[in-house]
Amino acid sequence: MTTTMHVKYMDLPRQFEGGTIVARVVEEFKRCQFVLGPQLVEFEQRFARVCGAAHAVGLNSGTDALFLALKALGVGPGDEVITVPNSFVASAGAIVMVGATPVFVDVNAEYLMDPAYLADAITPRTRAIIPVHLTGNPADLDAIGAIAVRRGLPVIEDAAQAVGAAVGGRVVGSLGIAGAFSLFPLKNLGVAGDGGMLTTGSREIADKVMLLRHHGLRNRDEVEVWGYNSRLDTIQAIVGDAVLDSLESVTAARIRNAAFYDRALAPLAPQITVPPRRAGVRQVFHTYVVQAERRDALREFLASRGVETKIHYPIPIHLQKAAEGLGYKRGAFPVCEAQSERIVSLPVHEYLTEAEQQYVVDRIREFYRR
Amino acid sequence: MRVPYSYLREQFADSEPILRDIKGLLESTQFTLGPPVAEFEARFARLCGARHAIGVGTGTDALSLSLKALGVGPGDEVITAANTFIATAGAIVQAGARPVFVDVADDFNIDPGKIEAAITSRTKALLPVHYAGQPAKMGPILEIGRRRGLPVVEDACQAISAAIDGKLVSNFGAAAGFSLHPLKNLNVWGDGGVIVTSSPELDGKLRLLRNHGLVNRDEVEIFGHNCRLDTLQAIVGNHLIGDTEAITAARIKNALALDAGLRPLAPRVRVPARLPNERHVFHLYMFEADDRDRLLAWLHQREIEAKIHYPVPLHLQPASRRLGYREGDFPVAERQAKRIITLPVHQHLRAEQVRYMIDSVREFYHAR
Repeated sequence: MTTTMHVKYMDLPRQFEGGTIVARVVEEFKRCQFVLGPQLVEFEQRFARVCGAAHAVGLNSGTDALFLALKALGVGPGDEVITVPNSFVASAGAIVMVGATPVFVDVNAEYLMDPAYLADAITPRTRAIIPVHLTGNPADLDAIGAIAVRRGLPVIEDAAQAVGAAVGGRVVGSLGIAGAFSLFPLKNLGVAGDGGMLTTGSREIADKVMLLRHHGLRNRDEVEVWGYNSRLDTIQAIVGDAVLDSLESVTAARIRNAAFYDRALAPLAPQITVPPRRAGVRQVFHTYVVQAERRDALREFLASRGVETKIHYPIPIHLQKAAEGLGYKRGAFPVCEAQSERIVSLPVHEYLTEAEQQYVVDRIREFYRR
Repeated sequence: MRVPYSYLREQFADSEPILRDIKGLLESTQFTLGPPVAEFEARFARLCGARHAIGVGTGTDALSLSLKALGVGPGDEVITAANTFIATAGAIVQAGARPVFVDVADDFNIDPGKIEAAITSRTKALLPVHYAGQPAKMGPILEIGRRRGLPVVEDACQAISAAIDGKLVSNFGAAAGFSLHPLKNLNVWGDGGVIVTSSPELDGKLRLLRNHGLVNRDEVEIFGHNCRLDTLQAIVGNHLIGDTEAITAARIKNALALDAGLRPLAPRVRVPARLPNERHVFHLYMFEADDRDRLLAWLHQREIEAKIHYPVPLHLQPASRRLGYREGDFPVAERQAKRIITLPVHQHLRAEQVRYMIDSVREFYHAR
């Protein structure tokens, strides 16, 4: 019998270990102008460069980035916005926040919006499309974009899990009219609390979101539009700027870990289905999601052997209690629903060792007796 | 003599104890709704003498989520004062409703005598503001609310520890919103807010609304927002909340000294009456002044950072265009907007700075 090894799903404290980031951040805090300070502007500019976008606007959360992108585009009550049902609830929550109705389309084998279903979901009330780059894998923006252009609809990228992901060298956050990023602590690029970022190539949208995040204030005394308070704290921008230094190495480690699983788990088909790959696409693996037979038993077995796993997400949004008023039934999105019973997220974080990964693979084989 | 408006440099001259705890947080990484948030909420509720306190992202969100939790939405109207910080009305719009303004009285707060006339069949809530730290006239306001079946939400963003007859603000309405913005009497190192309520139902609903409607990791009961007080900011708040009483006392002391020095300048200067049963906590020290703009320039010349809160009433802001108001609709607020001025009153002022401000205002009027 092998000794049990504890394989954590994520090892956040490691990010701040050694004290270098902590010391730098704390030093900066002493000079901090708490609200909309200069370090926020620097972080925004760097973030924009990372995404190949002209503008980045720091916000209170990734949810608010989606919400304010929709607001800036004038989406409101009576409108419909199309997204996927297998995302984190905030993708739909942001649509509800502007007063619009979320309309879902099913996903493909990559857990991404299936462009084949998109055209049928568009109605005269549709005002925007929000594909989600779930797991850190860019949605098929070529196909989705083509339909969107034909129907005159803007595409907002939900890139909350996908900073640094790219298609043919084009980075997410620069593919739609706007990109929404989360800086939640567990993200590939996370801060020490809530934070979000909106990217856009449009000066007009950037301007509008900058107004909206700051009460609509054109200057101290003049209120141009009704706004919100959704500013990224300068303190969080300081943390983000420090963490951004290691984004490339974090991403590279996650990609390497994912490749290891791919190789080691592919032979376990059909019990395990590894995530499909498209040529020319850079997935950044915020999560590494496989489909597994007898998923719940596998998770229990792995947990008993010290391996932490998660499910992103076990209940599709259209089957949540919150969605009752939207009128969807079980069976509406068969691919998403089938996946929700089979998906499991394996640890893929940047601190994972090869020994730990091998251990995870061995335990999965042990479970399936292969 | 320089009299700066901001006091953050003095307040955080020694921030080592806070930084030590933040270091601890960066090492523990419990960044989201960590134990310091619950601790801060419990202490905040105690400070207010109320049952529940919910940490949220901002004071603005504290108000808009309170309205949402009470069921206010599109098609509804909410009544508030015409001369507050924009976020009060912004929160109403954020909830999907329409702000309906009411003129203010000599104390810069909503005039209860003018509220009833503004109530329509669409009115869903009253949102009085304890402006500048001065409690609104909650007796008559609550009476109107009761008679007309309207819930009252208190905008207490500027008024932590303010009271009427010893009863602290946040204990009058169904819910109250507070701001922890860096320049507030009780502040943190960025944006933050708190909702206070004594209703367990509202408390439960608000906790859902601030956290994506999540009952647990996987189940979403209602569509919500992401509007949580950062653990990091709760840590700062826990360090400062114990100072609230001392800060309030210092501000009141400075304000009373300013009162005594400025009152003799009547009628060119009008200082609002201070009622013995009301505790004004002086987030802002505001008075009305003849020839205000020149007084402001004069004070700036003397390195006194006086301000105006605010020169343009809400109904005359470009954002209000579609609400259909006109100049002349709220004569008191409009007249005050041209006459009000705010002097620094913070807890780090020295007696000679207070004296210097009084002397400077006096000189201004005696010189002409």
